[in-house]
Amino acid sequence: MTISCGVLPVLEPEDQEHAYEMGDYEGARARWCPGCGDHSILTAVQRLLASEQLPPERTMFVSGIGCSSRFPHYLNTYGFHGIHGRALPIATGIKLTRPDLDIFVVMGDGDCTSIGAGHWIHALRYNLDIVVMLLDNGIYGLTKNQTSPTTPQGHPSNTQPHGSWLPSLNPLTTALGVTNASFVAQTAEWIPSHLYATLRAARRHRGLSFVRILQRCPVYSSAVYMKAVQDPSRIALLAHDDGVVVPELEKVYKNHVAHNPHDLEAARRVAESTEHVNLGVLFADPSRPRYEDLRRVPPRTADERIHLLDAELDRYAV
Amino acid sequence: MPSDPRVQQALTALDRPIAEFRALMEGALRQADAFLEQQMADEPARVKRAAAALGVFGASHIDATRFAALHVGTRTATEPSLAALRRAVDILRQMADRGDNLFLAEVTSGAKIGAVVESALAMIGWAFGAIIVTDLVRGGRYVEADHASMLDPLQFGGWNRSERRAAPPLVVRVAGASVRATDLASFADGHVKLVLVVSGDCAPAPLARLITPGTFVVQTTDGSGLDRVALFDGPAFAALMPAGAATFVHDPALGRESWQRLTVSFIPDAPKKAVGAMSTWQQLEELKQLADLARTPFAVPNAGGNAAPAMGASDAADRIASWLLTQSGLGGTA
Amino acid sequence: MPTLTEPIAAPAGRATGVPPTILTKREHTVEIVSDSGEGAQRCGQIFGAVSAKMGNGVWTVEIIPAEIQPPPRIPEGASGYRVRVGAGPVTNWGDATNLALAFNEQVLLARHRLNALADDAILLVEDKWATSEDADIRAAWEAAMVELSTRHYRIIPVPMEAECLLLVDNPRKGKNMFALGMLARVYDRDCDRIKEQIAFTFRKKSEAVYNTNVQLFERGYEWAETNVDVRIHVPLQKIDEKLVVMNGNEAIALGAIASGMDMCAMYPITPATSVSHLLSEVFEKFGGIVHQAEDEIAAAGVAIGSSYSGKVAFTVTSGPGLALKTEFLGLAVMTETPLVLVDVQRGGPSTGLPTKVEQSDLLAALYASPGDAPHIVIAPATIEECFHVMITARRLAEAFRTVVMVLTDANLATGVTPFKRPTPELHWQAEPVDLSAVPVGTKAFQWDPQTGLSRRIVPGQANGMHTLTTLSHDEGSKVAYSSGVHQRSSAARSRKLAVLQSLLTPPPVYGDATGDLLVVGWGSTKGAIEEAVDRMRAEGLQVSSVHLRFLSPMEPGLKPMFTQFKKVVTVELNYSDEIGDPYVTEENRRLGQLAWLLRASTLVDVDCWTRVPGEPLRPGSIVDAIKDRMPTRGAK
Repeated sequence: MTISCGVLPVLEPEDQEHAYEMGDYEGARARWCPGCGDHSILTAVQRLLASEQLPPERTMFVSGIGCSSRFPHYLNTYGFHGIHGRALPIATGIKLTRPDLDIFVVMGDGDCTSIGAGHWIHALRYNLDIVVMLLDNGIYGLTKNQTSPTTPQGHPSNTQPHGSWLPSLNPLTTALGVTNASFVAQTAEWIPSHLYATLRAARRHRGLSFVRILQRCPVYSSAVYMKAVQDPSRIALLAHDDGVVVPELEKVYKNHVAHNPHDLEAARRVAESTEHVNLGVLFADPSRPRYEDLRRVPPRTADERIHLLDAELDRYAV
Repeated sequence: MPSDPRVQQALTALDRPIAEFRALMEGALRQADAFLEQQMADEPARVKRAAAALGVFGASHIDATRFAALHVGTRTATEPSLAALRRAVDILRQMADRGDNLFLAEVTSGAKIGAVVESALAMIGWAFGAIIVTDLVRGGRYVEADHASMLDPLQFGGWNRSERRAAPPLVVRVAGASVRATDLASFADGHVKLVLVVSGDCAPAPLARLITPGTFVVQTTDGSGLDRVALFDGPAFAALMPAGAATFVHDPALGRESWQRLTVSFIPDAPKKAVGAMSTWQQLEELKQLADLARTPFAVPNAGGNAAPAMGASDAADRIASWLLTQSGLGGTA
Repeated sequence: MPTLTEPIAAPAGRATGVPPTILTKREHTVEIVSDSGEGAQRCGQIFGAVSAKMGNGVWTVEIIPAEIQPPPRIPEGASGYRVRVGAGPVTNWGDATNLALAFNEQVLLARHRLNALADDAILLVEDKWATSEDADIRAAWEAAMVELSTRHYRIIPVPMEAECLLLVDNPRKGKNMFALGMLARVYDRDCDRIKEQIAFTFRKKSEAVYNTNVQLFERGYEWAETNVDVRIHVPLQKIDEKLVVMNGNEAIALGAIASGMDMCAMYPITPATSVSHLLSEVFEKFGGIVHQAEDEIAAAGVAIGSSYSGKVAFTVTSGPGLALKTEFLGLAVMTETPLVLVDVQRGGPSTGLPTKVEQSDLLAALYASPGDAPHIVIAPATIEECFHVMITARRLAEAFRTVVMVLTDANLATGVTPFKRPTPELHWQAEPVDLSAVPVGTKAFQWDPQTGLSRRIVPGQANGMHTLTTLSHDEGSKVAYSSGVHQRSSAARSRKLAVLQSLLTPPPVYGDATGDLLVVGWGSTKGAIEEAVDRMRAEGLQVSSVHLRFLSPMEPGLKPMFTQFKKVVTVELNYSDEIGDPYVTEENRRLGQLAWLLRASTLVDVDCWTRVPGEPLRPGSIVDAIKDRMPTRGAK
């Protein structure tokens, strides 16, 4: 459905109740580097689209600029590969106009937490019903190795060769600090089943679902997540029935933290903690107001609008 | 009918989805009109239209003849498809002319609520068919043999996924004795929204039987909560009940467990007499069902100030549980 | 020792029984000035509205203080309203004020120093300051009177506050109604209409408030009856068509509604913001929303997202906001997403003169987006055109799949004038976008090789899936870096402007089609330029003018038109060097912005006369400047 008469909802002539398979969502062949974590995220997303049976023509991927922002090209859905840092305003405009579309926003760490940080904060507050994926490899990859806000302190790059000067920005605490943020989760691309389950929880959440996906860049920041990849004991899975539950992972990942995602204070503690890399849903509150609901107005037909405009013009009549 | 203030209240609460459906019909009509005009009109008429579309400013600076020529290229439709398009336009105009009555149904005495809703939705289905035909003809995809039947009324059972999603709400005026909630269960799909305006004697919680995990269900006596029906992204049932009925809201968005989703704000005294075909036992069974669904299965731990809001329902559930204890003598005696 | 006020106070009152002098004028400009918050603007608005209703041509402008909360009684705090009334249509604010009514002498001084007052202006000024207990105020009054006495003004002291105190306790509120009463008497306005307008103005207040205001109004009227010895008669015309009165920003807002657009994304900026004020009040009734974005960039992004998904959305801004939006402007051109972008120009560069008029954004409007980003730029010339241009802009944005920029300015935005009431038409609102399935294999940019036009595909359309990209792309929206593709796609985007230009009708010449000098203008200066041309032609000078609406693509037929004149001069509200200024030569002279464009597109040696006074051009100044530039007779 739409917020106004400008756009009609799509009615299909024939009963097109056919089941979509993963292949139905494949676009151009992905051209990320071999070993890039983005490949795994693409697969998880295709699996999600198929499992949720989202019609490709009513599914929309919006991205900015960066390695990760090539994402829409590799899917057979509608895509908008925009400009650096500005995916969220575009997605906001689309969602306000077309609440019927399933919208996914794909951003890198430079895109989201640096040049687009202003939009990020406000999008969290608008709380539109969209999925926002931060593909965080802690580096600028497309422009070849520059420090990003999430680059770990001390990690060298072409712009800060003696190591990043500042402590890295924590996207989770930032997101959880924003008024009206309604869903914050963290997952890692090298644990595909957790990634998939987290994305599914995000897609099913009503409101803006912010998912930080730890993503390896084998070329410029392979060290960033190396220890967590190699040593499962560095990872802790957040456990709760309203969070992400992946039984098959419990054998490999032995650290389980009971965490109620409805508890914002606890979520902020988890986001701050550095003891482990915490994966799962940190916070979810489906009751927070969604901007597209607040702004939905009854559409008016062209005739009604003419009638109303006549009345309006009368206010200015001489 | 619309003069009934409670019917008006229901229509007002559903203003937006009703307006959206109207806009859907009107949009199809305008597209069809524009297409027919292009097919039929001679060049002067097309130019006149282009000039009008450019507005007063545009028409005084832009050559409308050449502007109109930029956009010819529309395919020529066959005579049978144009005939179908004209019929579709007629149907849509008739529907539009019905105004609010298109979204209103009344269960007269002796009629079955399921059948009344079915025939009201069949009218909507008719409009859907007409809208699709306008699309098919404009897109050059209309095939008489395959698509002609789309210009007939279409029962809800035949609606496809997108039609169920685009369904407008329906307000149903019904006497309490005629409310058979189970007859409505099959309409829970897509975005179908049924709002019953109930008058006279009625069982206290007839809609309790319609509570399923993905369906929004609300019973209200003062209209509160009806606005949430319009906003819900899925099927919904609502009843504007006579005073004294149970009031509750079941919102699927609020959690995975029924006690998280269900907020019961009022439970009346035990039913004392049969209403229509509903015995007191059956009526009590609905109240118990409500209490069962609302009961918190465990003590909710103190979750700080940010507990899920649905947890507030536990209070009401506890009250219902204690009420049930006091009423336990009644069980099975009806 | 006599005070300086004595000699000029004497002629104010008129002896009982002596009839007042009646001056009949084709047009007259009156202004009310006060400290901000004293209600001078409200007084002026009512005076303007009633004058229009009675059958005078009217053009009003706000006098806006330079500071937000200026202290009282300083020239910088002058706030008010200027109303030019005429026996026929009034198309601009005119030259100088003929009658000013001031609540203190300091704000009057501000107007004097700005050269806003005619040499023979009648000045009605509150006189309580002359006898203030505060010696500094008395001294300031006397100094002001000395300064004002350098001109031939006729100063009439008015005991406004003393008179108001007879009716109310706090004359600060209500003095404006007393002032309105005086003006109503001097200009012989219809008192019933004024009372109606007072009732409308105070419709949200109690009846007691209305009654007090009417009493003050009547007191002012009676005071002028006995004490002011002059009456101004501006003949009325019968109004035979329905008129509306509004400012340009209101016209933009209502025009947007008339065009069927229903998404306005914006960020507050002066002087554009008031477009969104009106829309925020009424848009939801029409099924539309105003989205106040987190910044100017996001406002453009939201509008583009909305347009992309099936609408034509619009955004409104002013200079500094335009600077920020250029990134998204390029995106919209590259992705061929329709967008209407309204720029209400103000003084620049940078923060510049936020409340004042200028036409300095023209080149930025055309070229600010890096890379080749051809798009349409239109400038309405009147407040009426502000309404109608929105319908055209929406239609062209959709038909050409591109950005349409609408350039207005602070003069149009805040000027108020009556114009023919628009009759809304169904076809102004485009049909909803087609969301039905497209044939398999349909491409996102099926550029017509002749016109560069292609069909827009909207999310939701089955078989139409593609990824729109801001990278160089081919017909299928596939990223393509090869030179062939970029040449072809650039040509398609550029061709659309050539196509639009081929549809435009050459602009008409105002005056004779041949002559000594042709003035070329654009935007809000039309009324002042044409009035100046009328005056010069009345003096026998062979001057004509032409006014341009389309700046990109440039209107057709200009070169042959220009060759019919010995000289072509643009008149613009932007900065240009003057020959004779230090260091300035023919070679390095920076020209008016339209002059650059016209030289490039016509290869004619176009001259310019431009100014950045922070106020609209006065017809008289244009006359003086053009006379200076007249070619010597016989030269070619």
